[in-house]
Amino acid sequence: MGVSLKAGLLAGWTAVSILAVTATGPAAAASLDLTIGALLESTGPLSELGPPHEKATKLAVEAANKAAKDAGFDATVTLTSADSQGDPQAALSAARTLVDKNAACIVGPATTPESISVLNGITLQRKISLWPTATSTRLRTVKDGGTIFRTVPADDLQAKALVLAIEKHIGKGKNVAIAYRNEPYGDALSKGFTKNWEDEGGKVVATVVYDPQQASFDSEAGQVVASNADAYVVIDYPETYAKFGAALVRTGKFDAKKLFVPDAMAFAKVPDSIPGEAINGAYGVAAGAPTGTESVALFNKLWDEAGGVPNTSLTANIFDATILCFLSSVEAGSAEPGAITGKVRSVTQEGAPQFTIANLGDAVKAASAGKPIDYVGVSGAFRFMENGDPSSSPYDVFQYQDGKQVTIEQVQVQ
Amino acid sequence: MSVDFWINVGVLAGIYGIFTLGLQLNAGFIGLLNFGQAGFMAIGAYAVGLLVVDFGWSLWLALLAGILLAVIGGLFVGISSLRLRSDHFAIATIAFAEIVRYVLQNAEFSGGNQGVLGYDEEWRTLSDWALAKLALIGLGDYTQLPLFIAVWLAFLVLLAVLIVLQGTPWGRVLRGIREDEDATAALGKNVFAYKLQSLAIAAALAAVAGFFVALNVTFLYPSVFDPTFTFFGYAMLVLGGFASYGGVVLGGILFWTLLEGTRLFDTALSAGQQASLRFIIVGFFLLLLSRLRPQGLLGNRAEMRVRP
Amino acid sequence: MAGSNEAGKADALQPHGAGTLRLSRPVLLLLVIVVLFAALVALYGFDATAQATVNGLVAGGYLGLGAIGLSLILGILKLVNFAHGDLLVAGAYFTILFGWLGLPLVVAMLFAMIATAALAVLTEKVVWQPLRQAGAGTLQLFLSAIGLALVLRFGIQFFAGSQVRTLGADIVSSITIGPIHLGTLQAVALVTGLVVMAVVGLALRFTGIGKEMRAFADNRALAEVSGINTRRIIDVTWAASGFLAALAGILYAVAIGSFNPNFGVTLLLSLFAATVLGGIGNAYGALIGGLVIGLSQEWSTLLLNARWKPAVGFALLILMLLLMPQGIFGKARRRS
Repeated sequence: MGVSLKAGLLAGWTAVSILAVTATGPAAAASLDLTIGALLESTGPLSELGPPHEKATKLAVEAANKAAKDAGFDATVTLTSADSQGDPQAALSAARTLVDKNAACIVGPATTPESISVLNGITLQRKISLWPTATSTRLRTVKDGGTIFRTVPADDLQAKALVLAIEKHIGKGKNVAIAYRNEPYGDALSKGFTKNWEDEGGKVVATVVYDPQQASFDSEAGQVVASNADAYVVIDYPETYAKFGAALVRTGKFDAKKLFVPDAMAFAKVPDSIPGEAINGAYGVAAGAPTGTESVALFNKLWDEAGGVPNTSLTANIFDATILCFLSSVEAGSAEPGAITGKVRSVTQEGAPQFTIANLGDAVKAASAGKPIDYVGVSGAFRFMENGDPSSSPYDVFQYQDGKQVTIEQVQVQ
Repeated sequence: MSVDFWINVGVLAGIYGIFTLGLQLNAGFIGLLNFGQAGFMAIGAYAVGLLVVDFGWSLWLALLAGILLAVIGGLFVGISSLRLRSDHFAIATIAFAEIVRYVLQNAEFSGGNQGVLGYDEEWRTLSDWALAKLALIGLGDYTQLPLFIAVWLAFLVLLAVLIVLQGTPWGRVLRGIREDEDATAALGKNVFAYKLQSLAIAAALAAVAGFFVALNVTFLYPSVFDPTFTFFGYAMLVLGGFASYGGVVLGGILFWTLLEGTRLFDTALSAGQQASLRFIIVGFFLLLLSRLRPQGLLGNRAEMRVRP
Repeated sequence: MAGSNEAGKADALQPHGAGTLRLSRPVLLLLVIVVLFAALVALYGFDATAQATVNGLVAGGYLGLGAIGLSLILGILKLVNFAHGDLLVAGAYFTILFGWLGLPLVVAMLFAMIATAALAVLTEKVVWQPLRQAGAGTLQLFLSAIGLALVLRFGIQFFAGSQVRTLGADIVSSITIGPIHLGTLQAVALVTGLVVMAVVGLALRFTGIGKEMRAFADNRALAEVSGINTRRIIDVTWAASGFLAALAGILYAVAIGSFNPNFGVTLLLSLFAATVLGGIGNAYGALIGGLVIGLSQEWSTLLLNARWKPAVGFALLILMLLLMPQGIFGKARRRS
């Protein structure tokens, strides 16, 4: 497996670099007609994520078109979406539709199984960059020919960040209870966290797994608080945590200051559906943004002005993925999938001039001139490793205070 | 470009066509409302994946084992639940399929939430070989074409076998049971045994379909085996024609063209709305068909009888 | 109970039919529950067991309440209504709609229940009545129900979106009784379930329409011959089913806090389980069935990881079908 994996990567990389070489150069002045595909969870078990994710991609495409106009760069970015239904098979069909509609890169899907089926079924062969919000480390080891990029950190980094945050605010070697929503994300992150926490001498005293759609969460919540843990880790999405968090509060023994949440529970403003007692005082980790605050504020403003669904977690990561696809295409001067894939690192290059969504027009100018740039996204700066994951990075440790997310420090995770 | 899309529709129509042949054998020919087909499919597919990945079996041997395990599952369900009245049997089989899905998601042996990956090396070798041959006639770019050919070969062979079986005395007894169970029993036929055989064969067909699903998605995950797919199978069945194997072919092609084709329209609707619309269309379709032509396009109205 | 032939046959819908065998089933069930409770107390202590029991009653309350309507339709019209879960959803979303139109929450809820009842009657007029007249078979009815479920669920999603919604009630306030905590709204839902069960049960037994419904359920041909207005009975049954479904959906939505259009279909199999368990067509049975399922699921969390909770419900459904297809309160099934 190891050898063939390396061979695969190598072959993929050779192909990508050849394409990259042929695609650079004279195309810069020509007009660009880019179609970005979005795989959305519009129906199926994760359908509550569909509308906010859809809005994130829409906002990004609007921002991209505006930036191109500001820069006087002749480009049209179109968005095409398809429903991945929370199901690997449907996701593959949906991805084929997107490719059929000339999508040059695909943003999404939200889960690892869907991502792998889409990768093997179509995007690998066509060198289309795939930008999943799935966080499993499994996506790192599949043969992707350098086509998978993630604007979300993989579980292992996140698990380490959670360990550091708990050690800092609760203490080393303490007892932790984990609760997670029964799906690949929670499953993998919980395993990763448990291993790291136990390696550091801590104890995991309870692991409670719950299905997102059931008639009651009170027994599960009761088990979490009955463990008498010093800290709780709850791995969930805000949509389900609204239910589970309320059940935690109803136990009468829950203290939100002992709660630690991962990035899927990171949101600028606590959604109305989550009771304050379930979240205020809780700590969380999310990939850090060196110059982030301004971008975050701007993104939130864009979101609120657009109306529609309220903001939730991971929308900034999806927004960034869409922008990165656009900038890579500008940098490549081409809407050819392989060319875009080959330029992703040139728009996230460390040491190059930095741009954010505040000056996206300037970023387009620089990129269209073929210069490397460093797009610092709403969800942070991106240093893609060879496997397409963000490398060791600063993590923000934040706390929810009065319904707002307040960054209190940064930790370094490798 | 669009060729790829339609090859995909063809693959899905073929896979779920095999799946629906089993439903036809149960519902169409013996009057058994098997709503647990997705569960049998899951057993077949996971058996293949796990035997190859965890035990190093050959893919083809694992396919046989998968079929065998699904048949055992069918016998288990049949022996325990066949004596129930038809609507209770339907509910019991859905519950069975859901239990299978929950076990696969939550147990350790099945990879749980992390699924099963990496069982399809042998198939890929074969597929690459086929692609090389196809390249000679200019079709080398369609990477899903080998799977399409394999699925439809299997589909048509199984179809032919079932049609032949239908003409045998065995097949005539099945129909007899659907028409009048008591009379058939009075003739000395063991109705229970026939029903059990029908269910076991349906489970085997589901396992074959599961094998192809596994090759298509390259990653086994419980949500692929949601009961919705059993409902889809029945939609294909009634669309094509009740008690008509040929109808399954027509129904499969029409249904998947409808379901996947609706992805192609560019509307002013939001992605969420368009996704909803696809299922609204399928729903209306089921309603209208049940009302206007319950026997389906190729079916015969006189055959349309499922006893309570 | 041995009055006229009609009355004698009509006892399918009431708990105290007759005959020692039937009476013993509820008693047996009660015994099993008491023994299990004692065993769990011995193993896990009183506090944990009592809390799990209360949680089970709450979860079972929603299921039971949702199942009453399903059970009426199944018992009286012999229809397996796969779209019932989506009627629960319709209730919750009608409430949002009326709230959005400016009505206060409680009024919006009432309107939503009426609107869902109307929707249920509409499905009868548009879908079920024509199918019955055409002499549709079981499979046709099944597929129509599945089709209707898809249309309802995705119709709601089309207009309301699939993002989570909330009815904005206070879901964290709780009542503490000794070691046990119970959400205030959960208590409200549970009490409502019990009251509604009693009302429906009494109405079926003592009102004219209730008696007619039972007679209709038991022998349709006979009911028609004896001059009962069957059209009216069917409409009333649908209206009641829709009204109760909406009530269940609203209470669930209010007490659980947030939801999206998928919640009905995920509860559906548990609703069927409650119906079958209680004895089809029996209002008390449906609620008791729901409570038993809720209890077994929550009790199972003491023994197994909570991840197995949904599977426990399905396993119980199969077991009940196999061991006691007539349910706790139903009478032995006649061939139909």
